[in-house]
Amino acid sequence: MAFQFTEENLKRIEKARQKYPTSLAAVMDACYIGQEQNGFISDEVVEEIARVLEIPKTDVLGVVTFYTMFHTKKMGKYHIQVCTNVSCMLRGGYEIFDAVKEKLKIDNMEVTSDGKFSLEEVECMGACGGAPMIAVNSDYYENMTKEKVLEILDSLQ
Amino acid sequence: MEKIILPDIPDLNKLDVYIANGGFQAAKKALQMEPSEVIDIVKKSSLRGRGGAGFFTGLKWSFMPKVKTKPHYLCVNGDESEPGSFKDRQIFEKNPHQLIEGIIIAAHAIQAQTVYIYIRGEYYRWIQMLQAALDENYERGHLGEKMKQTFNTDFYCDVYIHRGAGAYICGEESALMNSIEGKRGYPRVKPPFPAQNGLWGNPTTINNVETITNVPKIIANGWEWFASIGAPKHPGTLLFGVSGHVNKPGVYELPTGTLLTDIIYNYAGGVPGNKKIKCVIPGGSSMPPLRGDQLEGIKMDADSLREAGSAIGTGGIMVMDEDTNLLDVLVRISHFYHHESCGQCTPCREGTGWMEKILRRIQSGQGTSKDLDLLVDVASNIEGRTVCALGDAAAWPVKFMITRFRDEFEKYVKKEVVIPVKNKIHSMKYTTYSVENIKLPESTKP
Amino acid sequence: MPKITIDGKELEFKEGQTVIEVASENGIYIPHFCWHPELSISGNCRMCLTEIEKIPKLAIACSTYATDGMVVKTQSESVVKAREAVMEFILINHPLDCPICDEAGECKLQDYAFRYSRGESRMLEEKQHKPKRVPLGPRVMYDAERCIMCSRCIRFADEVAKNPQLTFIQRGDRTFVSVFPDEEFDDPYSMNTVDICPVGALTSRDFRFKSRVWEMSNTPSVCIGCSRGCNVNVWVRDNVIQRLTPRENPDVNKYWMCDFGRTKTFKFVNAETRVDGPFIKENNELVKSNWEEALNLTAKRLKKFKPDETAFVASAFATVEDNHSFALLAKLLNAKYYSYFSYVIPGSGDDILITEDKAPNALGAELVKFKANGVSNDLDEIFEKIKLGEIKAVYILEQAHDFDSYMLDALAKAEFVAVHATNFNRLTEFADVVFPASSFAEKHGSFLNVDGILQRIKPAVATVELDRALDGLAQSRWDKFGTKFDRWAQGKKYDAEPSWKIISALAAKLGKPFNFSTSEEVLIDLTSKNSAFRNLDYNEIGGTGIKIIERKFSEEEKI
Repeated sequence: MAFQFTEENLKRIEKARQKYPTSLAAVMDACYIGQEQNGFISDEVVEEIARVLEIPKTDVLGVVTFYTMFHTKKMGKYHIQVCTNVSCMLRGGYEIFDAVKEKLKIDNMEVTSDGKFSLEEVECMGACGGAPMIAVNSDYYENMTKEKVLEILDSLQ
Repeated sequence: MEKIILPDIPDLNKLDVYIANGGFQAAKKALQMEPSEVIDIVKKSSLRGRGGAGFFTGLKWSFMPKVKTKPHYLCVNGDESEPGSFKDRQIFEKNPHQLIEGIIIAAHAIQAQTVYIYIRGEYYRWIQMLQAALDENYERGHLGEKMKQTFNTDFYCDVYIHRGAGAYICGEESALMNSIEGKRGYPRVKPPFPAQNGLWGNPTTINNVETITNVPKIIANGWEWFASIGAPKHPGTLLFGVSGHVNKPGVYELPTGTLLTDIIYNYAGGVPGNKKIKCVIPGGSSMPPLRGDQLEGIKMDADSLREAGSAIGTGGIMVMDEDTNLLDVLVRISHFYHHESCGQCTPCREGTGWMEKILRRIQSGQGTSKDLDLLVDVASNIEGRTVCALGDAAAWPVKFMITRFRDEFEKYVKKEVVIPVKNKIHSMKYTTYSVENIKLPESTKP
Repeated sequence: MPKITIDGKELEFKEGQTVIEVASENGIYIPHFCWHPELSISGNCRMCLTEIEKIPKLAIACSTYATDGMVVKTQSESVVKAREAVMEFILINHPLDCPICDEAGECKLQDYAFRYSRGESRMLEEKQHKPKRVPLGPRVMYDAERCIMCSRCIRFADEVAKNPQLTFIQRGDRTFVSVFPDEEFDDPYSMNTVDICPVGALTSRDFRFKSRVWEMSNTPSVCIGCSRGCNVNVWVRDNVIQRLTPRENPDVNKYWMCDFGRTKTFKFVNAETRVDGPFIKENNELVKSNWEEALNLTAKRLKKFKPDETAFVASAFATVEDNHSFALLAKLLNAKYYSYFSYVIPGSGDDILITEDKAPNALGAELVKFKANGVSNDLDEIFEKIKLGEIKAVYILEQAHDFDSYMLDALAKAEFVAVHATNFNRLTEFADVVFPASSFAEKHGSFLNVDGILQRIKPAVATVELDRALDGLAQSRWDKFGTKFDRWAQGKKYDAEPSWKIISALAAKLGKPFNFSTSEEVLIDLTSKNSAFRNLDYNEIGGTGIKIIERKFSEEEKI
């Protein structure tokens, strides 16, 4: 069954389209919506976005693969993003990354076998004052320690 | 001293509180002025961009066509992806209405009826906060067509948030415009400049979030007031984000020209364990690093930092204590720019990866001091030769870290090493190593 | 006019020209990869960095507009060093596989490595690995490791072919060019990307591994795939055409040609079906004859029929010269019926290059046709009369496309059919005499294209009557230096002649020789007889043709 946007999501895309003079400009919003509905951006999602926005498929594909927040494979229910950039690194970002790796037994950009967690070593998330930090999906957790991160992982169901 | 951007007023993020504290008076005032008057005031205030380049804001606005023949656009840059920079987030969270008021004034000044606030995708929660603030202002008639009534003017504008999706390069203004247009975030070749040929080929101005947030206070209190704060040639306050080895990391709003040591020791609480500082990057990771033993007397404004051999950038101060391994830091920085290079133009696309590879080889104990020369040379070959400033951003840390901390880096390399090279066939004739020295490694992974 | 100084030369320029345009117009070469005169400016390769006074950094010549008084240096020390650096960057991740790369010998990167590079690499690390041998489409192969991300192919697809089938995937040094998954780059113009690819990243699947480019000779000519008449180069090795590539002509095809023209219009030259020497029909079967016998037989038979029993069918596939001499022969025999065959597929054209008329010279055939007094030249009517037995002798010039079956059925009724053909086909089955015609690649001549531009073709492949060296055909290194013991210096020569020459010989047999010794003389004969051709000779037509007919076109019809 080919991917199709829900009625509600079609409306959201239409609303996004209203923000811009061209429909191409709504492609990033549409990608977010597609990713939200489908879990990740498959080729089918790309085709559907291209169809809905009436733009070339290649344009959508080029955009999807350019931006790191668009995932072309299924990530975990909880996408754990650990920053290891300089400010976090200076305050133990790598220790946290390694701790998460060890705990979840997955490497960067891998997903646990139950599909619950995925791990990504991310670039600076703009929370250097709260370094080291992690993000779980869209939520930031700052001033982390190894212990706190493991606690957070345990609390996620 | 008075804070311009993040005043210590509780609940200022609530619209009523903001209004109670004089909010939207500046917009009212500005909307009764001619656009050129507004530009003139901002020009006289000497407000400079807070996004890194430090260009004069009023001057930038004045580049927009005086006679409007095509739609004008304002882009507000909240991509904030420079490592060490985390200030704009504070504005979205604590003082969103002043940003919105600044947008109204700026949009009026450049006659832009459509405004896009570009916010990095990771800031989803802050995008929600700002969207809520925008919605509220729409309801109150501060934005959209209702503005005409509210402010008794002919001008109105619409403000939209464009959510980024994980690309440092989109903080570069022309890549940002491409991203808004729904394209890959490739910077554009300049000229043409955005004021002539920006979004969809129309005149466009791009300003940083912090820059715009300054504007209402300048209008409200006058340019003389603003120009008198801080360093004369770079007046006002800056949101200094202090991170790394300090006791109290965070954002501190201080006048320009404040001593770097003052910020680190007085505001950010000094270095944990009272260790010495080895290195400070004063303006976000792309700016040339300063030696810890040469921080005395350095003032935090564009001109003073240029004299000191660095740049103000985004005011993100990264402090590294004496135990920091600068090689590891440089590897991490290089990895970042390699990861974030858009890949459009040759020197940056190829050079960032090459520098990271050399640095990783040094990290694995297989570098020589000639590699350090090579790194500096490669960095110099990237610098100034690319479409956008990412090339410089990638080159400067390598170039200056190695030249300014050569003593330190010499410790990480040896006089002679056996270089593990997989593709041995690759022209070795004139390289710094003789072919005989090269043995194939056990593992091919450097 | 405003003036700019490049490398000490003061040059005039037009407002809106970029530095690289002014330079190239004035013979100053600024190296470049991504810039292409017919594509938008991308500015990504950084190879055209130049030093410009009053601009602090080096500036790229492709995107910098010339201004009055600008002073540009393309050879200063800083420029040379910057170029070397760009070359080094491009080469660090570029595979050193020139020995097996089709592009070698015509590769910008290879040439520049020689001219603008230090000739050494300081990169010790493993190169970046990416997809190799990716069939992007039915005709184009991609090697991402060789790719330098100049984006020319993507811009071509978007801007010229108007078919955005290509995109960049990923970013940074992980970037590569791709089509959408499970789709193909099958645009009718896809192979132009192979030409404009400055490296060996995109190669022609049709030509891949067929020949090193320096082993081939290359002859300027015109594509016969349709009436556009795209200018081409014919590349030959071992006397066999290996490939066609477009040749620049701003008024006709710019830098492009279609994939059909490139791959489907030359293989008949060396096909098994080629007519090799004259054939005559004996016992209902065509048997190999010789020129003398075939010409005598034809002259003898033609003389037997009355003018109103004789029809001449000229051809839009033959040259102006062939058609003209054909018309002269018809006049000589006072033939009452004369028409020409053309091949049009309605709706098959596009607004880029491809036209509906699938023959290269319909306009030329129309222009030089012989008009018998008061008789219809309608082809259908002629074939109707053949069918009715009113027309008994039919002389047919080269036809690259099969006749419709009603025409073939009619021919079965004719008493005598003479045909000029390059290849055996259904038509030749009905012939009593088949003269072996030289193909477009084996003769001089001219075609009149859809816009009324007269263009020359030149022999690239030698026939028995042509000697590659003595008759001035283009020669490859092997042609020049190979001995007959070298395998590559050999190659089959067909016993074929241009139609005008066959017709001249026939005229002589009929007792009224034309006295043409070259095809140019045929054209010059035409200059006095048809005002459209006045004052023309081959020199005047030149390398890119000359417009001899003004026609009005609607906007959509123009390229």
